[in-house]
Amino acid sequence: MIGPSPNLSRAAVEMALAEPLRQIDARARTPAARRAEVEAWLARAASPLAARVRTMRELQAAATPPEPAAWSAALPAVAALFPAGLPRGELVEVAARRSAGRFGLVLALVAAATASGENAALVDLGDALDPQGAAVTGVALSRLLWARPRDLKQTLAAAESLLGGGFPLVAVDLGLPPVPGGRGAEAQWLRLARAARAAPALLVVSAPYRVCGVAAGIALTLAAPRARWHGAGREPRLLAGLEARLAPARPQDGEEGAEVERTLRLAAS
Amino acid sequence: MSRLAALFVPLFPLAARLRAEPELGREAAAVVEGEGPAARVVAATRAARHAGVRRGATLAQARLLLPKLAARGRDRECERAAAEALLEAAEQISPRVEEVAPGTVLLEIDDAARRLRASADPERELGRALVRVAVRAGLPARVGIASSRLAAEVAAQGAGDGEPAIVPSGGEAESLALLPLARLAPEVALATTLERWGVTTIGELARLPPDEIASRLGEAGRRLHAVARGLDPRPLAPREPPRELREGMELEWPLTTLEPFLFLARAALDRLCRRLDGEGLGCAALGIALTLEPDGVDERSLALPAPTREAKTLLRLAQLDLEARPPGAAVRGFAFTAVPDRPRAAQLALFGPPQLSPDRLATTLARLFALLGPDRSGSPAAVDGHRPERCALVPFAPPPPPRFAAEPRRRRGLLAVRTLRPPVELEVVVDGGGRPRAVAPVVGEASARRPEVRGEVAVAAGPWRLEEGWWSAAPVAREYWDVELAARGLWRLFRDTASGRWFADGAYD
Repeated sequence: MIGPSPNLSRAAVEMALAEPLRQIDARARTPAARRAEVEAWLARAASPLAARVRTMRELQAAATPPEPAAWSAALPAVAALFPAGLPRGELVEVAARRSAGRFGLVLALVAAATASGENAALVDLGDALDPQGAAVTGVALSRLLWARPRDLKQTLAAAESLLGGGFPLVAVDLGLPPVPGGRGAEAQWLRLARAARAAPALLVVSAPYRVCGVAAGIALTLAAPRARWHGAGREPRLLAGLEARLAPARPQDGEEGAEVERTLRLAAS
Repeated sequence: MSRLAALFVPLFPLAARLRAEPELGREAAAVVEGEGPAARVVAATRAARHAGVRRGATLAQARLLLPKLAARGRDRECERAAAEALLEAAEQISPRVEEVAPGTVLLEIDDAARRLRASADPERELGRALVRVAVRAGLPARVGIASSRLAAEVAAQGAGDGEPAIVPSGGEAESLALLPLARLAPEVALATTLERWGVTTIGELARLPPDEIASRLGEAGRRLHAVARGLDPRPLAPREPPRELREGMELEWPLTTLEPFLFLARAALDRLCRRLDGEGLGCAALGIALTLEPDGVDERSLALPAPTREAKTLLRLAQLDLEARPPGAAVRGFAFTAVPDRPRAAQLALFGPPQLSPDRLATTLARLFALLGPDRSGSPAAVDGHRPERCALVPFAPPPPPRFAAEPRRRRGLLAVRTLRPPVELEVVVDGGGRPRAVAPVVGEASARRPEVRGEVAVAAGPWRLEEGWWSAAPVAREYWDVELAARGLWRLFRDTASGRWFADGAYD
């Protein structure tokens, strides 16, 4: 039970609400059940907080969650964790060390969104996009807005503008380590998470290490990356692809799925 | 006869100044014309008038009455923008508009009044609407409605705040009767003759028989007599709308730093965007003209990726440009010019994925442009050639969404390469067959902001040869290798065959 003072800041109230709502999400299977659970929880909660949060748009959005992004379930590894697709209005953080398939996962999501006719935006801090390679991956380049910021401050501002612009998918890629100013920007990530919830848009943040903190609605990691090569020993070699295990970074970030299906496999061509 | 409305802004030079500096309205302030001791008050705020400051008084006399009087010189830039804003406000009600003088506008209201015929008093309602649109444009206007030009103008000058003065059709002559003859602005010869006849008011002239006037004073006299009787059949002279909207200001003192300039610029851009909003237009290109001290003009133009009417974005663009190319001298005046364009339109889909709102998209694109600078946002485009680092940006203009949302298909993920722009130069240890065995960044290349490519090579695949532009002055010839560094990732390296230098130009991820 939470019994805060009515003078809590909006951000503090949201943070206080995040965990109970996540627990409700885990229990409730249908929107109606979810709404009933939220209302019951509010009735139990300390009255100043209940009076405060009933007016919040975020809570309304929580009571009637937007449809998940069905196109994101096109990737088997994502579908194993989120059968209906990644939820819109959430900040999904994907953290992985280098060469774990993080950028490939981002491009696959962008490809799935643009192929289904939606527009997408890629905020590319590392200026790493190869348009020709992206087109081969299946990205409809004409539906992709590519923003090339120079630093993290510009990255966050560009992402917020794009969320305000109505893009259903905003992918933020922080590039290879080191990310300049990558940690210590929790307030800005919270702000972005709120913007994503208000849109509602799917905000995917790809980073070499976890940077979003509590702002991440879902935190995923790509663990145990392994390159696959054709040929062995002194034979001529050919890069065949890589694979890594897509796993929730926190217990509440995903449902249990078949281990083999969670493996993200990226082929070289 | 057509019904005309006159939109009149009292003390126009002051009203134009207050539109640019609204906070001045609460103070005792006056607009003066002339330099030094010859400066005379043209208009003064209510507080100043209450203290006795009158039009025509010298600034020294006014300051004797009110030592703290805030004096501002006449600002032609402000007045021109205010006059344009008044015309645009009138055009929101009727397309037939004529500017009689700066701060006075006539418009035909027959069609507009017909649209309000369900109302009990359409003309009064229309008059109030005119006052509202003028106030939205930042100008406290008064409205008079009559069937002749002069009667409408005179009615407007005598109208109260917010309520129009209406002269009923046929009552024009009576409303003008008591005015001095000079209000008709007769030619000198005519004025002399009428004075000799003892005619001093418009009413006295109107009472004379029209045939006698025509036979004695000719065509000019007949026209004057008709106007005196409230008959003025001249049509309104149509106005060609300007191709650009302009807002600016002449400054009291030259500015040498950016911050105070941005403060004033923000207010001007706010006014400009309000005008664009009123017209349903967006700014496709922003012109900035800076008047420099002691003389000279610095003109620049900023193109926008899509028409927008967000003042904050335009200000940011102006700021970036001024920071990048500061003017060579202090600024003593400025003007912003917006090249208007229709905002993007779109047909929203009923069953397909939602389309981006054109207006929001335009604002977002302009914000990104302002935030990141040119060539940093847009749609990526494939470029002919073989070099992996090639890329191009084109303006983001997505095609319309499909009519029906496509069913998601299971997709096979492909390995992506992060392009390193520019490539990281490496020192590479090779074996006897030329295969890379160990890599490290060259001295000086290692930087806190570049990825570190260093380590023993566990697996190497290659080489693949790339040759491009061998016929040109800058040919490209490379040997590519895919290498896996022990626990340090997968990299794409190349050796420039001309120089023998090694680079990493991509990371598999």
